[in-house]
Amino acid sequence: MALIQIAEPGESTTAHQHRLAVGIDLGTTNSLVATVRSGIVNTLPDAFGEHLLPSIVHYGEDDIQVGDTAQQLSVSDPLNTIISVKRFMGRGKEDLSVEDLHYSYEFAETESAVPRIKTRSGDVSAVEVSAEILKALKRRAVDTLGDELSGAVITVPAYFDEAQRQATKDAARLAGIEVLRLLNEPTAAAVAYGLDTGNEGIIAVYDLGGGTFDISILRLNKGVFEVLATGGDSSLGGDDFDYEVARWISACAGITFQDPAIKRLLMQHARAAKEALADQESIEINLDADDVKWQGVLDREQLKQLLTPLVKKTLMSCRRALRDADIENESINEVVMVGGSTRTLIVREMVADFFECEPLTSIDPDKVVATGAALQADVLVGNKSDDEMLLLDVIPLSLGIETMGGLVEKIIHRNTAIPVAKAQDFTTYKDGQTAMAVHVLQGERELVNDCRSLARFELRGFPPQVAGAIRIRVTFQVDADGLLIVSAREENSGTEASVDVKPSYGLSDNEVETMLRDSIEHAEDDMHLRSLREQQVEADRVLEALDAALAVDARQLLSEQEMLVISQARQELVDVKSSADNDAIKKAIKHLEAACEDYVARRMNSNIKIAMQGHSIDEYASEPDSDAGER
Amino acid sequence: MPKDILNSNFFELFDHAVSYDVDLNKIQQQYMELQKQVHPDRYANASDQEKRVSMQRTSWINEALSTLKDPVLRATYLLALKDLDVNLDNETTMDAAFLMQQLEMREKLENIRDEAEPLVVLDVMARDIKKSSLAMMQSFSQSYENDLLDDAREWIRKLQFMEKAKKQVNASIADIEDELLGS
Repeated sequence: MALIQIAEPGESTTAHQHRLAVGIDLGTTNSLVATVRSGIVNTLPDAFGEHLLPSIVHYGEDDIQVGDTAQQLSVSDPLNTIISVKRFMGRGKEDLSVEDLHYSYEFAETESAVPRIKTRSGDVSAVEVSAEILKALKRRAVDTLGDELSGAVITVPAYFDEAQRQATKDAARLAGIEVLRLLNEPTAAAVAYGLDTGNEGIIAVYDLGGGTFDISILRLNKGVFEVLATGGDSSLGGDDFDYEVARWISACAGITFQDPAIKRLLMQHARAAKEALADQESIEINLDADDVKWQGVLDREQLKQLLTPLVKKTLMSCRRALRDADIENESINEVVMVGGSTRTLIVREMVADFFECEPLTSIDPDKVVATGAALQADVLVGNKSDDEMLLLDVIPLSLGIETMGGLVEKIIHRNTAIPVAKAQDFTTYKDGQTAMAVHVLQGERELVNDCRSLARFELRGFPPQVAGAIRIRVTFQVDADGLLIVSAREENSGTEASVDVKPSYGLSDNEVETMLRDSIEHAEDDMHLRSLREQQVEADRVLEALDAALAVDARQLLSEQEMLVISQARQELVDVKSSADNDAIKKAIKHLEAACEDYVARRMNSNIKIAMQGHSIDEYASEPDSDAGER
Repeated sequence: MPKDILNSNFFELFDHAVSYDVDLNKIQQQYMELQKQVHPDRYANASDQEKRVSMQRTSWINEALSTLKDPVLRATYLLALKDLDVNLDNETTMDAAFLMQQLEMREKLENIRDEAEPLVVLDVMARDIKKSSLAMMQSFSQSYENDLLDDAREWIRKLQFMEKAKKQVNASIADIEDELLGS
């Protein structure tokens, strides 16, 4: 149905080719990038064939290392090597727990609401550190695939609040990645197994990594994933398994566990033995260092005894999550296994017993989240023609505002499908009041102090009047990524009240801008050139979308006069888009958008109308003449 | 020219008769069809303008679904379509016998820990509440269909009480279960 478009000589045709989109699993311990090529989804390895990129960043004298090289430097230079930075995303200084302060790096004293870590190359925030990891993954994708990225789907834990999601998006922006969508990790795992194509059911996603355990209960209903409950243990993972085995070895061998060098040696052997037992019944352990000599056999039965208490602990979290979700064990239709530690057989067995169903393990548990994200990215950039796939998500935590007495009034309840918009009216309580402050919170509890502060707004600039005469309508819009956008309007005079958003823990727009300017990648480019290029790309995108739309239904939806106005604005943009005048391009885009406003709305309504009558767009477009006659 | 969905009422949007008795399956199906057309995922590569329009329409459709799914919101919306503004924050039923019943229920909840088998008592309460709610929904529906709008409004106020009671009973069940399992 689409018209064949022929580019002018010298003009790029990339816009019509396969678009390069990736899925990124930005993990606490490891990160991955995956993409769909020729219909097959794969995670991308680095030059040495490694798929997992350790989420570790080292700040050196004059360079920044990410991944394995950073990991190697973590022993010799712990102060400048940042690990587990995901724990700090979107968190405030007062959120730092005692455990967090055990990390070997130091936090700086700053004015900013977000904690900053001292490094050799200056103080850095979690967003900047994450951006380095994202940049490394982006480079890997571009190098492997030999093309620029159109965009990425980045996964986040289902329990991430607004501030944490915003921080993730800010990191992507710093890394120069267009975020197509933030996707919940358990949803991504379910997508990887194609569970979204099923019609309904309850899915448990059991995610046991190196140091953390997460359980999510999802309900799938006609393609909509609803997160019913999440739970877990932020300090339980495969490392604890290794520790148990290492202690067993030390007891058998009659050696002390205290010496750090011996402990490291035992942990290495423990890990190797644990991994070997995934494929064989027993494994011989052979300690042969200078002062440590021991030979012995570890079999599956022994391993089971050692690990059972730990796996039981994860099942306790599962039980709790099921109860939160108001779901019985036997109602679970599918269990998806995520995280390297789910390779351990005893974990699989005990999980199968607990949920009374055989868990899904055919996809590498380290890669399953990135795989799902890549599949979704491929759909979002339009590579996949199958337009039946649609993931609908919900907001994980309620959004509310502070009212009198430190109470929270919920405005958007948890598990509401997103995007969603809710309006709330506010009024003045003093004569002559010209401003008011609004405090936005996220969480399920009644008291302000028990919820998470997201932002404070000031509404200003309304005329002084008697108390209660001013009526401000504040609209809280949550977009498809779960991010909040606020707008305000004085209802009686119709003036737009200005809204100052002060994110409580995130970075303000100014801070992000400053980082963008400061970041090395952008310092090398000329900032103006970069923004000009962005404007030109946006111009191309607007023109491409418009031309495609006009080819389909201009005749049905536009009068001659309207078409003329649009064509003029279109030509105006075509004329300036190759110029070096950033502002002129911006203005022309705005102008064209204004000219198209009714048309865009009509198109959408027309599509809806067709959907409501149960016809496909193709049927509609293939008989334009009969339809045109009705106008 | 197709009508802008932002101007259509929630029932029209889902191609459903304006009525309190709804076919939620049909609505859900229609909802998915609409989402396939307007959801932001369909416009991930489109211009910012189209993204905005898509987000507005999707938010509206989501609002429509959550309104029609909820028994109190649906009832309130039906009256709003008849230009009757029900504000449940500021109005309440004056039915003394009903209010008395509600008070008794609250008291029972407050003293639930004195019961020998609190969970059994709570389960019975939950069942009773559900039964009364269903009866009230039917009463609302009849009043509404017969255009007895004042009666209908009164049923919403009462239904609102039952919804609150339901939440309190559930919270109480969760608390007691937590204690039992946590120990």
